[in-house]
Amino acid sequence: MSFCDAETSSPFTPRTVEGNRVSNRIGTKPLSVDSAYRELSGSGLGGVVIFVGRVRPDRIPAGRMGSLLYEAHRAPALAAFHRFELAARRRPGVARVVLWHRVGAIRSGEASVIVGVAAPHRAQAFDACRYLIERLKVEAPIWKTARAPRAHRRRLHPRPSAARR
Amino acid sequence: MTGSITVLFFATAREATGRARIDRPVDAVGIAAERLVEELSREYPKLVPILKESRWVLNGDYIRKTHVVLRRGDEFAIHPPYSGG
Repeated sequence: MSFCDAETSSPFTPRTVEGNRVSNRIGTKPLSVDSAYRELSGSGLGGVVIFVGRVRPDRIPAGRMGSLLYEAHRAPALAAFHRFELAARRRPGVARVVLWHRVGAIRSGEASVIVGVAAPHRAQAFDACRYLIERLKVEAPIWKTARAPRAHRRRLHPRPSAARR
Repeated sequence: MTGSITVLFFATAREATGRARIDRPVDAVGIAAERLVEELSREYPKLVPILKESRWVLNGDYIRKTHVVLRRGDEFAIHPPYSGG
């Protein structure tokens, strides 16, 4: 089964847009916090904030959830990431941004999303990171479905409480 | 000469139709997005409640649900509410 409507596993290559390094990615490979931290390095960037969203082993009617199945409409999702990043960069101090989302079957405990920001000061990095993850959850065409250990499945609809993740 | 529109279904829309994509033949005039969705609703009744809360995307851009004509070669996607993260 395909989890994107197009190629998902192309290796990530940093690009530069308007003089800024861009790090947006949607793929099936496991996400690495260490790699994100390296991507956020830079002289004078004293505040680095990395948010990691992980799959929880929630209880569902069919038992304890085994994994989440994530899928994306790749081109519009990457376009949305680009919009989020441009908006974040208009905030004071934001120098580096990482927006990585994994798709496919992701087991509980594994990371589904990494959002990172590097800025000269911590408040700038915290604010921008929160801004990015909240926009991603609401505006990026990405979906998840709970998968029980057996064949029972249900769709996870977005709810206000979802912002707790 | 014939051509088609590609329709993409994601998440609940995919589950309701049992298809991730279909290729819909259209004539040279094309078809209004609303009409295509009406036809899909008749063919896939389980899709009806999902369509009420979905966004429509034409060639990667969100579209309003009126006055848009789809033409051969277009990609039309149904986006149920998002739940990434």
